[in-house]
Amino acid sequence: MKDRKVLPVVAAAVLFGSVSALAGDLKVIANPSVQADSITVADLRSIFLEDKKSLNSSRVEPVLARSGTAHEAFLKEYVGKSDSELRTYYRTLVFTGASAMPKFLDSDADIVTYVAKTKGAIGYVDSDLPTEGVKVLSVTRAKGSVERKLVTRTEPEYPVSLRVLRIGGTVRLMLTVSPQGSVQEVDVLGGNPILAESAAKAVKQWVYAAGPSNTKLEVSLSFDPLR
Amino acid sequence: MLRRFFGLASMFFLAGQITLQSQEFKLFDRTVQFHGFASQGFIYTDQNNWLTMHSSKGSGAFTDFGGNVSVQITDKFRVGAQVYDRNLGNLGEWHPTLDWAFADYRFKTWFGIRGGKVKTVLGLYNDTQDLDFLHAFALLPQSVYPTDLRDTSIGHLGGDFYGTISPKPRLGAISYTAYAGHENDNIYSGFTYVSSAYGVNRPHYTGLQYGGDLRWNTPLHGLLIGVSRRNEYSGSKSTFRNPLVSPLTLPYSTETYPLWTNQFYAEYERGRLQIDSEYRRYLYHLVVNRNLLATTVNVHSWYVAGAYRVSKRFTVGSYYSRYAVRRMSTGPIAGLFPDQTDTSLPANHIYDKVISARVDLNSFWNAKVEGHFMDGYGASTFPNGFYPQLNPLGYKPNTNALVLKTSVNF
Repeated sequence: MKDRKVLPVVAAAVLFGSVSALAGDLKVIANPSVQADSITVADLRSIFLEDKKSLNSSRVEPVLARSGTAHEAFLKEYVGKSDSELRTYYRTLVFTGASAMPKFLDSDADIVTYVAKTKGAIGYVDSDLPTEGVKVLSVTRAKGSVERKLVTRTEPEYPVSLRVLRIGGTVRLMLTVSPQGSVQEVDVLGGNPILAESAAKAVKQWVYAAGPSNTKLEVSLSFDPLR
Repeated sequence: MLRRFFGLASMFFLAGQITLQSQEFKLFDRTVQFHGFASQGFIYTDQNNWLTMHSSKGSGAFTDFGGNVSVQITDKFRVGAQVYDRNLGNLGEWHPTLDWAFADYRFKTWFGIRGGKVKTVLGLYNDTQDLDFLHAFALLPQSVYPTDLRDTSIGHLGGDFYGTISPKPRLGAISYTAYAGHENDNIYSGFTYVSSAYGVNRPHYTGLQYGGDLRWNTPLHGLLIGVSRRNEYSGSKSTFRNPLVSPLTLPYSTETYPLWTNQFYAEYERGRLQIDSEYRRYLYHLVVNRNLLATTVNVHSWYVAGAYRVSKRFTVGSYYSRYAVRRMSTGPIAGLFPDQTDTSLPANHIYDKVISARVDLNSFWNAKVEGHFMDGYGASTFPNGFYPQLNPLGYKPNTNALVLKTSVNF
């Protein structure tokens, strides 16, 4: 039976799922001059951390939003820094001469306009926004893989015996998602075996958006006995 | 002075008006960016005068500013330059310097080169120590980043190899820097200033410098660990006049070999919390006028710092910093400089407990208030904040300091 106290207890897992859902509501856009139709998360991170200035031999330039839910989700999902951490990082680069300050714009519409007219520009906007004049890049976790949007998520049950003993932790799982969006296979990569069993049981009920082929996805679920 | 005040006031006003977007213009179809920063501080100490200021009466001689211009020529090639000026008590004295000016070619993420006047990578903050707006604290731990001795390690005229290697994302990423060049100490620095207390006329220390830095962004998100090493061979030529040695003005020359720094560091950032710790070992052997005086200085220093971002605009922090110096001399005039070997004595250490608060008034303007509670004064021919010229009646064992600082950047 699902314990009502599971909801606050697995808040970290919910947060992860929420951010993933928000990241799934984003789209990464690029100027047509960019020689790519997809981009890996690693390359996207390198570009926005000013570590990489080209993609498939074409020059690229990151464009960011000043604020907003999409901005926060993009940073958390793909860059791994908060807004203030990223601004501090950029200032360190600028004032040591390592790089330029990227462009920050006020709205998604401004980002689309700028990306459309600026050679090499790459940005991110809400997935519902019209993106005339730019190309949409699909984001992949690794070369050849495809990002899948999570449509339905079931919360895992927190085993009572472990919660009482205040045993928590993070479980890492590798999912195989079918083209229809169902989770066909779950492999445990790490974590407490009892928590992993509960997590695996829940993720088998997850449903993803349809995709071109089977997709391998790594997910992490956190169990916090104090929440 | 009045012009500098209006210049600084204008910079503060300008920063209040500019939003966070690049200040830029087009030149031959390339975007040229320019940025600037400025800070103004005030220090009051209850006992000894500190950092070459008359701080026991309260001093605002704590100002710096800089500006840079840079352009990305191609996706791999970048050029830029930054000018820096400061006045810290009796140091700097408003003599602007070329902070950095280099050309940078990044062949691959794992290999790039830069050449020109380059900031030296040493520990977590050597190359960013002047950029007040990047740090939670008004003064970085002086045991490792002495602001009065900034010029001895801030940069070199030469070249760097650098890059980031990440063979497997699950192993993290390793960044490296290797450099070599010519070091040219500013004659308005602390080491030159303390030399003048012994009758030496502004010696200009220059020499070969080389070293490297290796840092690992570990698989544990937010944890960075690293090590830096710096070697230097420096010398100087000047004159000196000390009645205890001779009534005449004599030539003065030094050779410093070996001179090296080892620095180990770690940083952990998780959410709103940041914890830093560094250990530095600094050793040099200096010979004056071919063994008239030979001095070996051995410094061990470390700190542990924590900062917590309470809200978007408010950060609190604290650190504990320890500095200990041992100095031994030989030669005909060594008797003028008694050995310093007992680090339990206040003259041979500085233990600093610090609490600090930072308020970000907007994205470009911040203000800080900080308290320092120092045990010891570490007075030596190798200074660390306390100078005989500003404390002619001798030193008190402890010093408490209030530091106020505000800075802007755009």
